[in-house]
Amino acid sequence: MEKIKMETKDLNLWYGEKQALYNISMPIYENKITALIGPSGCGKSTFLRCLNRLNDLIPNVRIEGEVYLDGKNIYDEDVDVYELRKRVGMVFQKPNPFAMSIYDNVAFGPRIHGIRNKKELDKIVEWALKKAALWDEVKDELHKNAFALSGGQQQRLCIARAIAVKPEVLLMDEPTSALDPISTQKIEELMIELAKDYTIVVVTHNMQQASRVSDYTAFFLMGKLIEFGPTEEIFLNPKRKETDDYISGRFG
Amino acid sequence: MSHIKKIRMIKDKIFLFMVGFLTLLTVLPLFHIIYSIVIKGLPVILERGLTFIFGTLSEGGIGPAIVGTLMLTIMATLLGIPIAFLAGAYAYEFPNSIIGRATKVLLQIMLEFPTILIGTFIMATVVVPMGTFSGLAGALALALILIPYVAVYTEEAMAEIPKLYKEGAYALGCTRAQVIFKVITKMAKKGILTGILIGMAKVAGETAPLLFTIGGLYEVYPTNPLEPVGAIPLLIYTLVQSPSPEDHKMAWGAALVMLIIFLSIFIPIRLALKDDIKL
Repeated sequence: MEKIKMETKDLNLWYGEKQALYNISMPIYENKITALIGPSGCGKSTFLRCLNRLNDLIPNVRIEGEVYLDGKNIYDEDVDVYELRKRVGMVFQKPNPFAMSIYDNVAFGPRIHGIRNKKELDKIVEWALKKAALWDEVKDELHKNAFALSGGQQQRLCIARAIAVKPEVLLMDEPTSALDPISTQKIEELMIELAKDYTIVVVTHNMQQASRVSDYTAFFLMGKLIEFGPTEEIFLNPKRKETDDYISGRFG
Repeated sequence: MSHIKKIRMIKDKIFLFMVGFLTLLTVLPLFHIIYSIVIKGLPVILERGLTFIFGTLSEGGIGPAIVGTLMLTIMATLLGIPIAFLAGAYAYEFPNSIIGRATKVLLQIMLEFPTILIGTFIMATVVVPMGTFSGLAGALALALILIPYVAVYTEEAMAEIPKLYKEGAYALGCTRAQVIFKVITKMAKKGILTGILIGMAKVAGETAPLLFTIGGLYEVYPTNPLEPVGAIPLLIYTLVQSPSPEDHKMAWGAALVMLIIFLSIFIPIRLALKDDIKL
């Protein structure tokens, strides 16, 4: 039996007057990769950003409904949003390392959460960089500025930075859309590897990617969740016509 | 047809010529100012040598005024930066709140505020209660002039950082303060530094706010910021009013020193901005 790590119930979201998400209810299973697919502007990124409450930063956003993490609604008033974001990490569409050294980027999260001990930080940095399959490429130049790395390396650094705070869930917003095919392949291998320890939700425009890496797929269209199920079923045997049309490339 | 074309071409030529001519007219005074200061100031400095830089006024030098200007500029910068930085960060972080918007508007007004009014304000609130002109009073007046520059540049430099980095920091569980101080400030430091240097260049040459605040001190070096100090611009102002040609010569020499101090703050700014364009 799959264990549910996160779950949304009747999630609605408005940007000002414009509704962007309609009654989204779906589970996110533990240690699985869930892919969110759909055409541009369908709400998949918006949905992803509800899972770590990053939408809170945008003015005039109104959210209704519930998002559960281990059975607790993260939109409850007693939830510490900073603690929540530590548990639900995120990797963005474009690599966004901070203007500091490779080491400081990875140590950034642990430091803001109170780890000061140099030895402990060294250990976390090495562990996270190894997990992100970047260690061998950068171990001799940890104090070089992160901007000197290639795009693919920067994205793996961002993954290392995200997992250095030991999150339980990792959200990835089109993590390979700005990368070349070889870097993309590396990140995809990494996702499968990371899913052993983490629950991963990935937004992707790339249907092959969704079918290659994910266990579950959710298809969004115009702010609505059209279909959710095991990836194989969605791709080989979709129940809804819209899903079939999108997956077979008839629109999108 | 060709007639219209020809007229258009002539109009275009006239337009280009006018623009070029007026531009030249605009920048010409700047070159003339620099030229006349160098031509009239350099002989004075060369003739008196180190005495002009280190000597007191009766020895034929402006040493105390140079030290006074450096002292006032540094004190104003140290007093102004923390307040300006926080004001800028506030305007950046709360651009949609009423106070945030008001901060931005007020900073813009402060930028253009007549500096002599700041001088009178400090005279009434600091000089009169203290019972004496002082370096501190002058530095406070200059700090009020420096603050809007640093604050506006801080806000603008922060606003230029792509949202992506801010979100990246929040996604790691940063608090608002951590996002601003640990990520945004680091990435905006070039712009903030530019604001600080522009503010310093501006206050180093200010005269009006010093008229009623620092008193002037040109025969001994200043040692105590709670007592009167001198400053190069104020010294120039005093010397030019004197009827003696000797004093006018001194004023030209002091003007050249002022120009050098100004350019030595300003040129690094231009070089720093050039780097930005390359990025």
